[in-house]
Amino acid sequence: MKRTTFPRTWRLVACSAAVLGAALAGCTNPGTSEQPAGAGGNSGGDGQVVKESSGEGCTMQDYGAEKLDLSEAVVGFSQSEPDTAAFRAAETKSIREAAKETGVKKLLVTNANNELPKQIADIQNMLNQGADFLIVAPVNSDGLDPALAAAKQKGVPVLTIDRKVTNTHCDDYLAFLGSDFYEQGKRAADALNESTGGEAKVAILLGSSGNNVTEDRNAGFKDQVKAQYPGLEIVAEQTANFARDEGQAVAEQLLQSNPDITAIYAHNDEMALGAVTAVQAAGKQPGEDIKIVSIDGTRNAVQAIVDGQINAVIESNPRFGPLAFETAEKFYAGEAIPENVIISDDEYNRDNAEANLGNAF
Amino acid sequence: MSERLAMRTPAETPPKRRTRPRRIDADWIRRNGVYVALVLLLAINVVFTDNFVSEGTLRLQLIQVVPVLIVAIGMALVIGTEGIDLSVGAVMAIAAALIPLYIGYGTLVAVLVAVLAGAISGLLAGTLVGRVGVQPIIATLGIMVAGRGLANLFGGEIKSIRDPGIVELGSGSVLGIPYVVLIAAAVAAGAWFLVRRSTYGRRLVAIGGNKRAAELAGLPVRRVLVTTYVLCGLLAALAGVLLAARSQASDPTKLGLLMELSAITAVVLGGTPLSGGQVRIAGTVAGALLLQLITATLIFHDIPDSTAQIAQAVIVVAAVYVQLGRKKARR
Repeated sequence: MKRTTFPRTWRLVACSAAVLGAALAGCTNPGTSEQPAGAGGNSGGDGQVVKESSGEGCTMQDYGAEKLDLSEAVVGFSQSEPDTAAFRAAETKSIREAAKETGVKKLLVTNANNELPKQIADIQNMLNQGADFLIVAPVNSDGLDPALAAAKQKGVPVLTIDRKVTNTHCDDYLAFLGSDFYEQGKRAADALNESTGGEAKVAILLGSSGNNVTEDRNAGFKDQVKAQYPGLEIVAEQTANFARDEGQAVAEQLLQSNPDITAIYAHNDEMALGAVTAVQAAGKQPGEDIKIVSIDGTRNAVQAIVDGQINAVIESNPRFGPLAFETAEKFYAGEAIPENVIISDDEYNRDNAEANLGNAF
Repeated sequence: MSERLAMRTPAETPPKRRTRPRRIDADWIRRNGVYVALVLLLAINVVFTDNFVSEGTLRLQLIQVVPVLIVAIGMALVIGTEGIDLSVGAVMAIAAALIPLYIGYGTLVAVLVAVLAGAISGLLAGTLVGRVGVQPIIATLGIMVAGRGLANLFGGEIKSIRDPGIVELGSGSVLGIPYVVLIAAAVAAGAWFLVRRSTYGRRLVAIGGNKRAAELAGLPVRRVLVTTYVLCGLLAALAGVLLAARSQASDPTKLGLLMELSAITAVVLGGTPLSGGQVRIAGTVAGALLLQLITATLIFHDIPDSTAQIAQAVIVVAAVYVQLGRKKARR
């Protein structure tokens, strides 16, 4: 009995799979589709500017690397998180464009989808494909050791961007390029102080737990409030995992549990946009009744400043491409590369958001 | 085996209970524990939580519970067949990702396409489980992984949805009752009717109780299984649409993430055994409300995330323990 039904069965499986695919891909939109949140257009935006460097310098000799002509080199880029996030999309795009600009022989790009084991495998695969230089956006500060060891064994320098690894500088990796997340938190406190006039009951929407970005952005904010702004009272802090719908759900609860909240600090733009919807649903005016400050600088959030719904956004510049390849060029020209190359981030507020909307990613 | 068969036939379920004296045993706890817990937690909040007793707070819980509730009802049907559907979160993301793509054809078309995609995904799952004989956990695990990828592929970056129809669906209300709550209530009532009053419902429960016996009795086992997974996929897609409508955005990477776990938890809390043969819709509704109330309680008291996660885990383990206790008692 079973045998006779098999052909039909498989046909059904194949059919439903095909229909599902067709339904998704088949007809496209007649043209009024919404813009992607982080549609960067050309990744023009503002380039990164180095604010400060620290730590000992590292030269080719120190690192034990061999001289390399980038135009002859295969460069590998290991992205950490899916490019569906505006920050990641802008970062990957920037690396691709800078690679083209620099004229490297070949650029390999992988995406670890937020999984550490996959990133290790990605890096090992790129090494096997002959990568001569690696740019890595680490999934996590710890745990990349097997990948870094494999790169070291092959004498391939590793440049980490946007998240610092805990391994040994100039031994396991070349240098770290990135933002100072603690400083971003401090500046968010400054911006919130400015937009509230120094008196506010503040709710914090935290990023994912156990993430160094969350920890630094929170510590910077709180330390600055403690040191400078006694009028800012932090009444609640709850995680919303950097996601818009969670930001909305948690903000809705907080507005009920603390009806006297007058300001919200969100660790990223997505949660702030969720908070905007939550404040509206509570019958209040975001940006006026409840001041909102966040960090990132995505197009949607900067547009929300222009629309008066968000008060300020501290930028976290994702365009690492030019600086990363410039660093590689310097390194192979014999210059010493410092351990930490910290970029300067901009701020979007009501005075400059409209003019600088094009810089948002 | 024969004893098990006798225990699980659907006709046996409630009517006898009135005549036998009420005892608070493991079985009673499994059936009614969720209501007791819900009332208890509600009472605790009324007494101890500032700003909890207000129209806004209660209304908010009803709104926020909607996606979990709808997904959990579909999950309860699947679990009733002794199955499981891990793909619901991914299906939500697919549905939400389709809305911005099809919104140009109008609100209704976009919503229909999204919900239809859920039904098709359910058809695939149901066919794999019912006709090919793949284990439910494996079949739906595959769809979960592939579905999330598909959502990313078609959804791309996070998209804002500004269509007035969708926004109204997510945040509008009629006579003071939000649309999303009305829809969830209709889904729950419909599912209750299906399980208790329809031939389909009786067959579903019979199959979950003993598939072989149902087959021998001549029930259309495969058709019922396929229908059940289609319903589950359809409801998951509906939940995805409502969640996207409420947040006015579609995030293919994060929308519906881990929803399968919340839904299964709600079903188990509601007293539906994972071993199939029973579907408790009212219990599932209460289970979802209980989860929502736990979340709200933790936020209202500003409990840190790490502690909150442990608290939730303890509750889930306790619920499963009660289930195990019941099995032992019956043996």
